[in-house]
Amino acid sequence: MTTFGTMGFEELYEQYESENPNITIEANNIDTGGNARTDTFTKLAAGSGLSDVVAIEEGWLGSIMEVSDQFSDLRDFDMEERQGDWLDWKVEQVTDPDGRIIGYGTDIGPAGLCYNAPAFQAAGLPTDRAAVAELLGGDDASWERFFEIGRQYKQATGKAWYDHNGFVWNSMVNQLEEGYYTADGELNVEDNAELQERFGWIADASADGLSAAQTAWDWNGGQAFTDQTFATFVCPGWMLGVVQGQLEAGGGGPETGWDFADVFPGGSVNWGGSWLTVPTTSEHPEEAAALASWLTQPEQQLAAFEAAGAFPSTTEAQEELAANPTPNPVFNDAPIGEILVDRSQGVVAQFKGPDDSLIQENVFGPPLQKLERGEATEEQAWQEALTLLNDLVG
Amino acid sequence: MSLSTTDARAFPLQPARGRRNRPNTGVGSRPGFLAYGLLVATLLGFAYPLWWSFVVASGTNATRGETLPLIPGGNFWANAAEAMDAIPFWLALWNSFVVSSIITISVVLFSTLAGYAFAKLRFRGRDGLMIFVIATMAIPTQLGIIPLFILMRQFGWTGELGAVIVPSLVTAFGVFFMRQYLVEVIPDELIEAARVDGANQFRTFLNVALPAARPAMAILGLFTFMAAWTDYLWPLIVLNPTNPTLQTALSQLQSGYYINYSIVLAGAVLATIPLLLLFIAAGKQLISGIMQGAVKG
Amino acid sequence: MTSTIKAADAASAGDAAGREIVRPKLTFGQRLSWFDVKASPYAYISPFFLLFGLLGLFPLVYTFVVSLHEWELLQGQGDFIGLENFATTLQDRFFWNSIFNTLSIFVLSTVPQITMAVILAAILDHNLKGKTFWRMSVLLPYVVTPVAVALIFSNIFQEQSGLANNLLGVFGIEPIEWKRETWASHVAIATMVNWRWTGYNALILLAAMQAVPRDLHESAAIDGAGGIRRFFSITIPSIRPTLIFVIITATIGGLQIFAEPRLFDVSTAGGVGGSDRQFQTTVLYLWEMAFFRQDFGRASAIAWLLFLLIVGIGLINFLISKQIASAEGRALNKKTARMLAKREGVSA
Repeated sequence: MTTFGTMGFEELYEQYESENPNITIEANNIDTGGNARTDTFTKLAAGSGLSDVVAIEEGWLGSIMEVSDQFSDLRDFDMEERQGDWLDWKVEQVTDPDGRIIGYGTDIGPAGLCYNAPAFQAAGLPTDRAAVAELLGGDDASWERFFEIGRQYKQATGKAWYDHNGFVWNSMVNQLEEGYYTADGELNVEDNAELQERFGWIADASADGLSAAQTAWDWNGGQAFTDQTFATFVCPGWMLGVVQGQLEAGGGGPETGWDFADVFPGGSVNWGGSWLTVPTTSEHPEEAAALASWLTQPEQQLAAFEAAGAFPSTTEAQEELAANPTPNPVFNDAPIGEILVDRSQGVVAQFKGPDDSLIQENVFGPPLQKLERGEATEEQAWQEALTLLNDLVG
Repeated sequence: MSLSTTDARAFPLQPARGRRNRPNTGVGSRPGFLAYGLLVATLLGFAYPLWWSFVVASGTNATRGETLPLIPGGNFWANAAEAMDAIPFWLALWNSFVVSSIITISVVLFSTLAGYAFAKLRFRGRDGLMIFVIATMAIPTQLGIIPLFILMRQFGWTGELGAVIVPSLVTAFGVFFMRQYLVEVIPDELIEAARVDGANQFRTFLNVALPAARPAMAILGLFTFMAAWTDYLWPLIVLNPTNPTLQTALSQLQSGYYINYSIVLAGAVLATIPLLLLFIAAGKQLISGIMQGAVKG
Repeated sequence: MTSTIKAADAASAGDAAGREIVRPKLTFGQRLSWFDVKASPYAYISPFFLLFGLLGLFPLVYTFVVSLHEWELLQGQGDFIGLENFATTLQDRFFWNSIFNTLSIFVLSTVPQITMAVILAAILDHNLKGKTFWRMSVLLPYVVTPVAVALIFSNIFQEQSGLANNLLGVFGIEPIEWKRETWASHVAIATMVNWRWTGYNALILLAAMQAVPRDLHESAAIDGAGGIRRFFSITIPSIRPTLIFVIITATIGGLQIFAEPRLFDVSTAGGVGGSDRQFQTTVLYLWEMAFFRQDFGRASAIAWLLFLLIVGIGLINFLISKQIASAEGRALNKKTARMLAKREGVSA
């Protein structure tokens, strides 16, 4: 069993093992999705070494789908019956042209806004989560509005508004109907006016010093979350688990004042989400599929949500969350489940091409960083992105 | 071929000539304060990063922010336990031990055999083959990782320790090293005498060459072990995170959705302990190995 | 390989048996013995050559074959495309970037490392108290594996609240962006290499210094040459062969740095050597091309080009050092001869 990041499965493994004494789960969690990608591909190529169950992330699903025949068709197991459990698009994403379905959906990535209440207070901004949602425009929240408030904040405190450009950019791109690829799989970056417009917004925000230019996945060992280096943070459901971990690593907790608002600039978005797959190299495909299926049942999805904030992809689990809001102590008792259900309304995942994660991280990453560090103008940075695209993806 | 041991720095250039005819009296007999001062400064520079790692590993993430932390806290075992929990530490330690031991035995054995043949036996093509060995010593064979990977995949060995061990079973350097040593230390008369006594070639090897080669074998073994133990690139490619060596397991600690530096450094300290123990136990031999092996003439 | 060992065993066993049984029939015994003498050298060297050929040379040749094809990690061998992968690589700015980084880190790690090692060796060459203690302490970093070194130093060079910047802060120096700026990152990575290897090289050089005949120093001292002068005119020229060895091995190792840049900043850009590849070495680029971008064909071309570079630099290194060594050697011999002559004159 190979997973990555914070998927919230640890306790579930124990439960499954105790319920199925003949099964032993060797859990193997790879730190970040990016490293899991490298690992998965290397092992795919090696033709061995893959676990019986392998977690796949949306960002590199595109290249997995190109070799979908290396994964078991789950319709051979219980997929036919279970297909209706998930949101339709969650199943569509892992259905290949031959109609084979290769993954059990785990989580999806609707996003709300994490914000630091004390930081807001220092700038004279409202701190109540409903008021914050209102401040940013409620249902009509836009990026322009987000950056505008950011400028006010910056003026009042002299501090950065959000942590770094990369995540804001990801959110924006994921909001588009078509991202780096068109729905039929063509590269869609050059001459993409929507992308370029958003790139401009980020460039302006960077020029005004709204970005804290943090290193993602590091955030100075989590300390940047504890010392108000920035005031807002884009939070897909699974990111809440990341924030919690960062706070722990940085020696902080609920007292740092992070909260979670039912609002997202530019409207709803799906960022991220994963599936559990069974590679054809598995020697125990039956058992593997049974485990993967069990882990993605509504009940288990709820448990994973409790543990790591991974927002369930089955409709039943979502309804359950909406019906029974539970306060989350780390985020000032925000009912994060309920909020995310709200944030997931109308969310549809975008088509991900084979090099999606590469484009995100290695094509747009460097120029976005140059922007927030004041090392490039918008024009230069955009050109650099195009050059990198050409060099890396071709 | 060696993936792990091509770093020629792991080896001294030439074997000891066995003779140290003059006691080391030193150049200036009385080193001044300046010399000791520089030495102390060097010692601090060399030791402090390690000590700092231990101090942070025994503290909290906040310890890292201190300017010059000197006193360890009480959290080392808690952090070490978390590090061991995050990676399969004991399995990795065992794997590293198995891999390094088998490579060491193999390299020492085959190098001694071939080195002896090159040093003391006469056969057609000897000089040509020896030149070949010397020439290949400088070739960075680890650039062959791609075909090796393809090869291992075809054997179905990826993920197994064998894939790490097999490419490092012999080194050109080992052969050269043993040859240089044996050419000096075994007098030809000794071999002749053994032959006159009716010993065959292999028994001559066992009875004459092997005992004479022992010091060089120990040095070669020590450095081969070190090189295999520290190798990272190749195990990273052919092994899984579920069946790692110590180095690949350790590297997994560093990246993550959240990094707790105390835990990362606890892992680094933990992983250093085995070699540190070896160093304390065999440090003198290690030093004399490096120094004897270095150069003379 | 086991079979070859058995062959050796069998040869010797047969030989031994033959000897005992057929002692009267000398010719047969002689023939066996002749076979023993002729065959065993090959039996001894064959395990090495077989394994080395299969696992060392064959992959190198095969790398070239792969580099002539379109070859993807997952899809496997594709069309034969001649030298196209080489052409692409030679026009690839990331390739040249990685070469630049490799050379820069190599220079930053070799020059200070060897300078410091020489100085350290010179100090250790004194008649010190606690000789073994000092020698062991300079070797201490050597027992820390490169991966652990990378973990430790990537924390020390952490930009916010890392030890290096904390210390600089004491002197009122602004924090340096070790992981972002090209030069700073090169210095940081070179520091890792230097930290681990300086003591080791110092011990090798120390051994060479101790081999310098003491009478040379003594006579020079009688001549009134001071410590520093003697160091430059006697010690350095005498240890030159060792110095060459240390430099060449440092070159071969230095051009193949991987663990340090790979682990220096794993959070950024998938750990390929910085957001802008500002510290991506060529081996790291090779790894990226093969296992991140999954293009085995181009990765193999990179491997071969790097191979040529290493051999090339190694050769240049060797030739230059050799020339200097022989020139210096002649000078030294003259000087020595002069000194010894003088000394004899004094004593006579």
